[in-house]
Amino acid sequence: MGPTIKDGVNGTGGQGGNELFDSLRLELRRGCLILAVLAQLRAEHYGYTLRKSLAEAGLEIEESTLYPLLRRLETQGLLTSEWREEERRNKRFYRLSAEGERILGLLLAEWNGINESVTRIVAGEEAVVGDGIAVGER
Amino acid sequence: MELLERYLQAVGEHLPARGRQDTLAELRANLEAEIEGREDAAGRPLTEAEVAQVLEAHGMPVLVAARYGPQHFLIGPQLFPFYWYTLKRSFPWLLAAYAVVQLVHAILESSSGPDLGQQIGAAAGHFPGVALTFWGVMTLGFAAFEYAQGRYIPKLALPKWSVRDLPPLETGEKRPSMVNGIADLIVSVLMIVWLLAVPNHPYLIIGPGAKMVHGMPFGVTPEWHVFYWQIIGLLIAMLPLKVAMLLPPLRRVRGWLQLAVNGMGILILVVMVQVRSFFVAGNEISAENLRSLAGINAGITLGFKVALAISVVKFLWDLWKEITADRNRHTSYATVR
Repeated sequence: MGPTIKDGVNGTGGQGGNELFDSLRLELRRGCLILAVLAQLRAEHYGYTLRKSLAEAGLEIEESTLYPLLRRLETQGLLTSEWREEERRNKRFYRLSAEGERILGLLLAEWNGINESVTRIVAGEEAVVGDGIAVGER
Repeated sequence: MELLERYLQAVGEHLPARGRQDTLAELRANLEAEIEGREDAAGRPLTEAEVAQVLEAHGMPVLVAARYGPQHFLIGPQLFPFYWYTLKRSFPWLLAAYAVVQLVHAILESSSGPDLGQQIGAAAGHFPGVALTFWGVMTLGFAAFEYAQGRYIPKLALPKWSVRDLPPLETGEKRPSMVNGIADLIVSVLMIVWLLAVPNHPYLIIGPGAKMVHGMPFGVTPEWHVFYWQIIGLLIAMLPLKVAMLLPPLRRVRGWLQLAVNGMGILILVVMVQVRSFFVAGNEISAENLRSLAGINAGITLGFKVALAISVVKFLWDLWKEITADRNRHTSYATVR
């Protein structure tokens, strides 16, 4: 299991710095979580197993965030759900709808584009910083 | 599992009736699975404290229920900038309208009612309530619009705009202040009210000395009402121009509007210069007083003539500046293109 992204305060730099980091991190995660949930629901899951499978993949989500999110995505037509009995209990199983498949494809293309751009930008900055040090050392 | 039942009951209290049972059934299945998962990991049933920990980690019932509902807001993010802009823009107007109404009321009532200072103090004390009511009405209006759009009326479409319609660049010129403009408007309205009140309330012009006027050997010329109404008419005609100067879409022609206002000010001086005799002799006047009266009339006329000459020169200077600035604006626009 790789590094885990979970909720909570990370890093150092005082309470104000932590609050700012948490708020920015929340903003960054919001879209990523939807992408991860949609991708994970290419296979059928109910709430608890979905949360566990995401956590095992390194992405922990609070129950109170995930379960309402599933309902919202279903209302938007991206997921379908059905109640079914499993292990003597009724559970609501979710899976990606046809529209969800289409939107996921578009979102993944967008995500990959952003990821590549950010990687290039960060790598470019590192090269500039490296050059700066090299010039300074001369 | 009593704790779980109590927790679900508490969440259910805050859920909308529609879909409540469905949401609670799903929540129950997920929480039971969570508890069972922990029991499997521990190899024993969870204690009450451990179950409480799971439920507390899931979140406060009212917040959990809120996440299942639609997002609630009175004014949405698309409409909010317009709401805020309208509030900011309309507040000085509210203040101006309130000040004018209260001051006019205070002046007209000052002879019979309470002290003018007391009335102004009372009006200032009532203003927060008026402002709060205004804010409430505006907010309710926008909230009603937010609710209605998409349901009963089409969603708000952003108006078409062009960068070319934006006001010209204000280079080197001090941007006209909204507060100054409104203060000028208030003073102009008060001036008109004051002039209208003077014939019936002479104390407004010379205070307690008004009682002595009746014993004076001279009085105001009988033709006073001719120039009086001409001046009142010109002052009232200035008001729409001063209001127009405050409107942002007319900012580009503000200089010309100011010139029009100044032009009307000159017309008032022209009227005053044409009067020549402001005071006339009474029935019993001495030769010495008659000479003094002629001197007073000549002095006043001379004063108005000097003021008229200065105003005309300033008007021509401002006119030349406005024409030059207009030409420069067109030249720089052509260069940019």
